Amino acid sequence: MMDAFLLALGGVTEPYTLMLMAVATFAGIVAAAIPGFTITMAIVLTLPLTFAMPPMQGIAVMLSVYVGGLSGGLFSAALLGIPGTPSAVATTFDAFPMARSGQPGRALSLGLFASFVGSLISIVVLIVAAPPLALLAVKLGPWEYFALIVFALTIIASLVGDSLLRGLIAGLIGIGIATIGPDPLMARERFTFGYELLTAGIPFLVVLIGMYAMSQLLSELEPTSASQQASSSSLVSGDMRPHLWDVVMSTLRKPFNIVRSSLLGVFIGAVPGAGSSISNLVAYDQAKRASKHPETFGKGEPEGVVASEAGNSSTVGGSLIPLISLGIPGSPADAVLMAAIMVHGISIGPRLILDHPDLVYSMFIAMAVASFFMLFIGILMMRAFMRLLNVPKYIVVPVVLACCAIGTYTLNNRLSDLYLLAAIGTIGYLMKKLDYPLAPLVLGVVLGPIAETNLRRAFQTSADWTLFFTRPISALLLTLAVVSVAYSIYSYIRQRRLLAQRAEAAQNSAYQDGVSQE
Amino acid sequence: MERKSPDAALVPTLQLASYVVLATGAIFMASRAGSLPASRWEPMGAGTFPQLIFSSIAVLCVAAFIMELAKRGIPRTTLHSAWRRLVALKSVLVNLGLFIAYMISMPFAGFILGTFCYLLLAQLFLAPRRPVTLLIVVGVALLFSIGPYYLFADVFSIYLPRAKW
Repeated sequence: MMDAFLLALGGVTEPYTLMLMAVATFAGIVAAAIPGFTITMAIVLTLPLTFAMPPMQGIAVMLSVYVGGLSGGLFSAALLGIPGTPSAVATTFDAFPMARSGQPGRALSLGLFASFVGSLISIVVLIVAAPPLALLAVKLGPWEYFALIVFALTIIASLVGDSLLRGLIAGLIGIGIATIGPDPLMARERFTFGYELLTAGIPFLVVLIGMYAMSQLLSELEPTSASQQASSSSLVSGDMRPHLWDVVMSTLRKPFNIVRSSLLGVFIGAVPGAGSSISNLVAYDQAKRASKHPETFGKGEPEGVVASEAGNSSTVGGSLIPLISLGIPGSPADAVLMAAIMVHGISIGPRLILDHPDLVYSMFIAMAVASFFMLFIGILMMRAFMRLLNVPKYIVVPVVLACCAIGTYTLNNRLSDLYLLAAIGTIGYLMKKLDYPLAPLVLGVVLGPIAETNLRRAFQTSADWTLFFTRPISALLLTLAVVSVAYSIYSYIRQRRLLAQRAEAAQNSAYQDGVSQE
Repeated sequence: MERKSPDAALVPTLQLASYVVLATGAIFMASRAGSLPASRWEPMGAGTFPQLIFSSIAVLCVAAFIMELAKRGIPRTTLHSAWRRLVALKSVLVNLGLFIAYMISMPFAGFILGTFCYLLLAQLFLAPRRPVTLLIVVGVALLFSIGPYYLFADVFSIYLPRAKW
């Protein structure tokens, strides 16, 4: 174990790797700071660059982009009032008013320091939680694994999007897409309809790039109020000094907020389907509820900035818990990380930590190192980021689309993947316009083959289907899946009722106003 | 509860149409899966799992269709609304068209020429009409067409498509 740790430490702290990680962290921050450019997109576009690297170095570079990206949204949130990524929505509430009131440097420092502490806390939890969970997972049979995937899929569908049914349909479409090509056990060709293009199946990274990056980029070209806000908003001005010592002391004097927000982030990150886009809002909400002066939230309250940033950055460690210990990616970004590891010929699953402990330790170390880079690069380059945020959309969108094409081609050096990208991107955009959540679809593509493999293995072992319900862990997971669906139906109905009540109240007050004006 | 304006009814109408298209596609795929030969070595053949998934999609689409109609009635939109929405999405559609043309032309035009033309046209369409932006547009198109080609070839030994003529 010590050997593996030292091997990982030596690998990650090589000067060339450290330099690449610093560049990757910077790239992650810049990418996430540009509105419309998500963390997943940044990680996807980094993937082809890591093909030529040794596995440890490649994973370290991608994790650096991930860690940098989770704090990058802070810059556009604080300086433009637009969350660069969905994970920085709650940051906008207080960081922007704080920056507008002449303290942009302090707002950024608070966010960066909170992100740093959040990342470190999440790494500690990951180190403590992942190995024992993996040791337990090694003992699971195909019945338990299948039940686990079913559970993960129900959570994904219930947490993403406005409509439960459309979420479930999207997840199943993802699984359906994954069945095209050779079947995972016998390699029998399915649904190729004689097209050579489909013989090898549809690579899930092409689906991921098409569905996520392309549809998101095309949406950025739509005329929206957000883009109008971006073009009309003037940059904030004022004190750009970081005041780091003051920020550190003021944050550590009230440690409860940052620790609570980080732990919430870790927990939400560990649940498949939930991620930083949810955790920042939940952490912010909890900080507001716990505050003695909730009325200051939304007006530049430092605790709000700390809660949101600690909440979103700490999801990185949490989301790696199911990936490392069970081989299940909790979010599209983790799915790309999983692909990056698999591209290097390393299989993902509970045996990862047993067979490649050096790689897993290098992930822990790389995340910690990237957190330090994120803090220092963020603090040192605050002024430069203000300029970078002004890159116009007419450059960003076509250039990133071209980068998507490069990423797709370099995966397998196959031109036919480019046609698939164009087709999947178009379908993804249409689905997005029709309000189908895309995250369940992408995760369905990843989880589908695992589900099929385990279901068929279970039946190969024994034709008795009742084993799914009589084996305790499998039964527990399937019960949790049913509870998850029932709970999401209940929350959906409650949410609809609340919305209807609010709409009715708004109509009544508008009517009252009309009457009083008359 | 019917949608009041044709504009508001456009997306629900398209959603209903999407349920029909998806359900039809799913039924077709489920039937194809059913025709895959069974395995001698396992109770579940290669077609059982996909059949289960596509049948579930069809059932969910039918359920979503019925629930939508029961809850909100038939949405009434007009072709005029659809046309207006399409015109509003002009930038997206032109860019998507350019991107598809870029993907199709890549094997013949090669990466450098294809990317240069795509970036030039897409940026020219989106950028404000000013002399300085023309310079920026050409510079960006040159940088991001030639740059990645040589970066991948020389640093990563990955060769992006070359022109065939």
